[in-house]
Amino acid sequence: MRFRLLILMVFLALAVFSGFADSRKKERANLPAVSTHVDDGSVRIEGERRFHANCGRCHAAPQKFPPRVMATVVRHMRVRATITDEDMRYILRYLTQ
Amino acid sequence: MGCFSENFRLGQNSVSARLIFVLLLCPLSTLCVAQSIDADRPVPLLTGNAGFFTNVVGGQTQLVPEVNPVILLPLGDRWLIESRGEFKGEFERAAPGAPYGGTVDKELDYLQADFIANPYVTITAGRFLTPFGIYNERLYPIWIRALQPTPLIFPIGTGSSDGLMLRGGFPLSSKVNLNYAAYFSTLSTVSKFESDRTVGGRAGVFLPGPRLEVGVSWQKLLQEERSNAIGFHFAWQPSLVPLNLRSEFARSNLGSGYWIEGAYRLSQLTFWKKAMRRTELVARAQQLFAGKIDEDDAEEYGIPDVNTREADFGLNYFLHDGLKATASYGRQFSSDGNFNLWTVGIAYRFIIPLGRGGGQ
Repeated sequence: MRFRLLILMVFLALAVFSGFADSRKKERANLPAVSTHVDDGSVRIEGERRFHANCGRCHAAPQKFPPRVMATVVRHMRVRATITDEDMRYILRYLTQ
Repeated sequence: MGCFSENFRLGQNSVSARLIFVLLLCPLSTLCVAQSIDADRPVPLLTGNAGFFTNVVGGQTQLVPEVNPVILLPLGDRWLIESRGEFKGEFERAAPGAPYGGTVDKELDYLQADFIANPYVTITAGRFLTPFGIYNERLYPIWIRALQPTPLIFPIGTGSSDGLMLRGGFPLSSKVNLNYAAYFSTLSTVSKFESDRTVGGRAGVFLPGPRLEVGVSWQKLLQEERSNAIGFHFAWQPSLVPLNLRSEFARSNLGSGYWIEGAYRLSQLTFWKKAMRRTELVARAQQLFAGKIDEDDAEEYGIPDVNTREADFGLNYFLHDGLKATASYGRQFSSDGNFNLWTVGIAYRFIIPLGRGGGQ
């Protein structure tokens, strides 16, 4: 039981230590939002490149889905495939353009 | 499990069940927070895959229908509740000419709450796929796997765990990404929530330029013989050719072995272009060195108890997004006897939005 509590405390301490309080503002500030409809070719190309590098390792590109559907799918895949936050945002932008 | 008293088991199950219940309820509090409605807010989904396969294993025909529904329930900006079930039938003829009969296995693969704490850490609680190697988490779904038969070493270190996990991926530099997962799982004998008491983790280095990933996995069993399992994985997608190379090695008291698989899309061929770019050829070689386990344990874990080699060749044709026809031939060699494995079937991935704004 003590070992289990110790493991639990280590997990929680790591999570707290990682300082998630203000991370959301930082991540939003640096990368394109999904709903930005500016036709930025470079962002699209980068998104496509990151899609093929990350997602293409396991499966082909899906058909286009509405942005709200893709937002859920990409969040799921971020967790499942441990995709980086930056990659996730570019991929989401690419898949919803 | 023999060294655990019944009281200890019940106590552990009770504590585990309460812990999982509380952790799964936590994100519901975010529902109380008013959210602005915008076009980007994720919508709940019912997704997953379904398939029907005909396998001929050593001359015995099996009909295998399978459905794997996945529920994705995003909450706020940082939470995701996700769950996957497995309904898999295996129907055979009891005697030549007799009707097909069999059972439908029902499993809960995962039921987990994910909290994206920051760009580096996601906290997962509940029942989750054990992060050991790459096959269990990434390649297992029938619409993704290139060959329908799972690798011989697949039972080593994989399955599902009940507990807590930290995971994430982040760039170490502009050319290198690091991904990791570390977890603790408790013992559970609750039906559909069975798990062993383990601790373990996986770490991988991914080079996005050459599309190369290498990684290592480790798992320590904290019950019974307290054994260790270790694994290595490798994946490479060269940019010049539409080739997907993957490999895993695993070692534990169940045995040790490896598989290496290559999948090649025929999109570079200059004839029948439309058909060729939808066609994929697959080959896999694998070998298992049996551990010191008896026949009953081998059957329980689904792993051979004698040294085994196998070669498989497959053909996939992608009819549509998420819909593929698949066929494969393999031959297994072992001291128990050599036999052929034929598979033909179809796999489909579906996505159904469960909320407003999910339509086209």
